Amino acid sequence: MTERVDRRGGSPKPAKSALAAVAANHYVLATLSLIVFLALWQVISMNVPPIILPGPAKVAVAFVELTLSGELIRATLQTIWPFLIGLVLAFILGTGLGLVLGIFRPAARILDPYIFVFWSIPNIAWLPLFIAWFGVGELTLIVFVFVSAFFPQLLTVESGAKEADSFLVEVARSLGGTKREILHVVVLPSALPYIFAGLRIAVGRALVGIIVGQLLIVATGIGYMFQFYGETLSLAKYFAPLIVIAALAVLLNRGVNWAEHVLVPWKQRAFV
Amino acid sequence: MRDLQFVNVRKTYRSPSGQDLLALADFSLTVDGGRFVSVVGPSGCGKTTLLRMAGGLIPSDGGEIRLDGGLLIDPSPKMSMVFQGIGLMPWKTVEGNVALGLQLQAHRRKLTAEETKRIHATLEMVGLKGFEHYYPHQLSGGMQQRVGLARALVRQPEILLMDEPFGALDAQTRTVLQDELLTIWGRVGSTILFITHDLDEAIYLSDLVVIMGRRPGRIKQVLEVKLRHPRYGYDARAEAEFARLRSIAWRSIKEEL
Repeated sequence: MTERVDRRGGSPKPAKSALAAVAANHYVLATLSLIVFLALWQVISMNVPPIILPGPAKVAVAFVELTLSGELIRATLQTIWPFLIGLVLAFILGTGLGLVLGIFRPAARILDPYIFVFWSIPNIAWLPLFIAWFGVGELTLIVFVFVSAFFPQLLTVESGAKEADSFLVEVARSLGGTKREILHVVVLPSALPYIFAGLRIAVGRALVGIIVGQLLIVATGIGYMFQFYGETLSLAKYFAPLIVIAALAVLLNRGVNWAEHVLVPWKQRAFV
Repeated sequence: MRDLQFVNVRKTYRSPSGQDLLALADFSLTVDGGRFVSVVGPSGCGKTTLLRMAGGLIPSDGGEIRLDGGLLIDPSPKMSMVFQGIGLMPWKTVEGNVALGLQLQAHRRKLTAEETKRIHATLEMVGLKGFEHYYPHQLSGGMQQRVGLARALVRQPEILLMDEPFGALDAQTRTVLQDELLTIWGRVGSTILFITHDLDEAIYLSDLVVIMGRRPGRIKQVLEVKLRHPRYGYDARAEAEFARLRSIAWRSIKEEL
């Protein structure tokens, strides 16, 4: 009996808390999982033909080679500019029109059916039309990214502006608020989280848009690297643009999260 | 001065089936300046409708509501409302929410130094000193209603309209806030129209308890509470007069249930 109590109170407990301390350290955990991931990748790549899956070392070498030759950097720049221009335009116009439609109901009643139809059409179906209208070039690429990101931004913001709590509107009215003031103190702040929710979807859509666009229209940039190294089965090199796109996506999402944290402080702090 | 008058006020609601429902029929009441008047009654007797009309949030269908003799139609800067649901802006801090009471009253966003001082004095009065930069969700229900009260008081209203302000709070918090409301009322001297369904609360707080009957809403009985002020200075709830009034009021309301 005493022995048991001793054991319980003795060695297992410190061991457990040491493990907990390791688990609590976010960076240690992230590094560990990365090592496990790379090891697994290495083991699998050693057991399949290299043409199917190159190992992480080969990918790293290819990444450095493509970076030093300037190819990867050039492709990244060719991708980032039309992507950013399309996304920023979609964000500004989508947010603006979304707010207008969310606030002025008659405008929404007129335009909503059209927006819904355009939104329902898979955006890839627009591509040949855009090529016919805007030619094979940057402009078509920008328009395609814009269309991909514009509708999710618009629809999310519109529903957010409609979502304003009618009780809060009444409270503002009881305090003497005019229509304009109510817009400012109730409607716009309650739409703000939706602007970020829309942006999160818009970023994802725009990324798909730029890759598909470069694959199918202009044969430049990251999208073209996918096509070229995929078709020539140079898979080690194929992973380099993949890493760039992944990094870009993570960076953008972090950026949106950070901006939301700063501009919508009343939301996150609910979870702290 | 600061009288609030209801003269033959009526209100009809249209039900979904298209029938007219008389919510309030020929309601007449004068709330004298500086007095604390409670309205009690079963749910559906139109007491909240009454308050919302006094606050200018909904129009009446007949009769007049007068404030200091002037007709009252829109929300008046001389009034402040306090709601059961409180209605704090989640994106504003405690200080920002209280400031809103002034900003929407004066229709300008910039506050004068005097107004900023008044905001802080009001926050201190309701016991929120040190919580200026908290967001509403970081506060308990009782604290949130203190913010609601501060937002109303900072406007220095002639009339305070309160719609079951403590209805959603636990009994202990409610008792504390009742006493604080009486203390504040003693200091600011506003006229208070207070809606509740809690008889004890109505008797404890008020000079006058208006009991309403329902369908259609109308005044059934008015009780004058002659317990001396300040009531938190002694155990007013234990007085024989308190028990007497409660038994009369309860009998009156029971007939309406």
